[in-house]
Amino acid sequence: MTQTQVLTPASLEELVAALAQATPQTRLLAGGTDLVRELRRPVREPDLLVDLTGLAALSEVRLEEGMLHIGALATFTELQWHPLVREHALCLSLAAAQVGSTQIRNAGTIGGNAANASACADGVTALTALGAVVITVDGAGERRTQSLDDVVLGPGRTSLRYDEAILEFAFPPLDAGHRSAFAKIGSRTAVSVARLSVALVVRFDADAGVLSEARVALGAVGERAFRASELEAKLVGRAADDETARLFADGCVAAVEASIPGRYSLPYKRHAAVGLAYDAWNMLALSAPSEPAWT
Amino acid sequence: MQLVLTVNGTTYEVEARPTARLLDVLRDQLGLTGTKEGCAEGECGACTVIVDGRAVDSCMMLAVQARGKEILTVEGLAQDGELDVLQQKFVEYGAVQCGYCTPGMLMSAKALLMGNPVPSEQDIRVALAGNLCRCTGYTAIVAAVKAASGQDTRPLMEMPVEPGELAAEAVTDPDTLAAACGIVEAETGQPPGGPCSSGGSSEMLGFHSAPEGGE
Repeated sequence: MTQTQVLTPASLEELVAALAQATPQTRLLAGGTDLVRELRRPVREPDLLVDLTGLAALSEVRLEEGMLHIGALATFTELQWHPLVREHALCLSLAAAQVGSTQIRNAGTIGGNAANASACADGVTALTALGAVVITVDGAGERRTQSLDDVVLGPGRTSLRYDEAILEFAFPPLDAGHRSAFAKIGSRTAVSVARLSVALVVRFDADAGVLSEARVALGAVGERAFRASELEAKLVGRAADDETARLFADGCVAAVEASIPGRYSLPYKRHAAVGLAYDAWNMLALSAPSEPAWT
Repeated sequence: MQLVLTVNGTTYEVEARPTARLLDVLRDQLGLTGTKEGCAEGECGACTVIVDGRAVDSCMMLAVQARGKEILTVEGLAQDGELDVLQQKFVEYGAVQCGYCTPGMLMSAKALLMGNPVPSEQDIRVALAGNLCRCTGYTAIVAAVKAASGQDTRPLMEMPVEPGELAAEAVTDPDTLAAACGIVEAETGQPPGGPCSSGGSSEMLGFHSAPEGGE
């Protein structure tokens, strides 16, 4: 068996050159919180590891031409605290803050979160609500921009080719009229994989007193994070009151039921979704906190 | 492959497998065995080290990824034979029991204090959430970190003796040990409150001292 080769590109040109050497056995390494564990018992020893952590430019967060760009190498710690993320994508900051532990947030990256394509990836749920696109580069130096939905396909499955690396994510920044939230339920508070997560983005039209926009993404319930479009349509045009909070919670339950019919975890998740929905709703702070009527 | 790593201010050149974890190189090649391996999957934090000022699990980072970075391990805490204030407070507050989690706890706490010299209790608990301890119940650890940051905390218990005076002699006799723990009285060898009380004996410690006509 030949030994694994490691390349640590330090520039985009070096990255493209490294990707040009990739084969189907090649793995891309970012924060390592998933891959290093897997490398101890690899299904097949990789021929080449492309270590992306030398690419400092890929951890940048910046506003450019009306879009917020999140570098693939940005760690969860960086996303949690970055002023641009807190101002323009609060649900992503909140999601990052709830990933794993301090150690995992310090190493794990948003690009790795998407490329690993776990159904319960908190970052992916938030990016789904934010309507992110994924910008990649391949071994020929060609860039592609695809919707996140077209990249993350299911547990561990993406449309990324073996010689294709995520460079960054981009989405329209939320502005002062938007509110966003992220909430998740796991087996415990910290170092916990989401059993159910929700990212919520709304725009509140204060003059009309109604929600003029609503985006709801659910994670860890089904093959991958998804938008609950039916529920989103129902929320638009409604006042930010207790009745809408209840409609939101009912809509989350309906989306959970539709996503995992007959799954052993459904009875639990159906109930959990109610509390989770109210948690997220109250985080928006549009009105006095609403409480579920447990009947 | 050839690796150059800076650990605790010293530069080392090592020959390592390309897929060797930072943990493997620290322990097996540099002999820095203070860093422990627990779960090997990022749950327990026993392998925590500080890389460029941030706490990371060294079981989830390849050694090649640590090139050119400042690595700090538990061996780098004490300076000139003096314990780091965190280590000192861990001793004073009884924050160490079996000790296996301690290096990781210290490094997570150290990284916290490097960035946040006066953390709240919540800050401390968040910083240590990735470090499991199965002995202490965490209370003493949190108090020790708080004390190390110069915040007023009362020791949870009075120190019976000065740290340096501890364990001058190892106790091997089960009855002496039982007496020391208050399970039996030293003079009589009986449970406090008399021989008939259900208070227990040295067997409570897992010893079975045969001679006295026991089972």
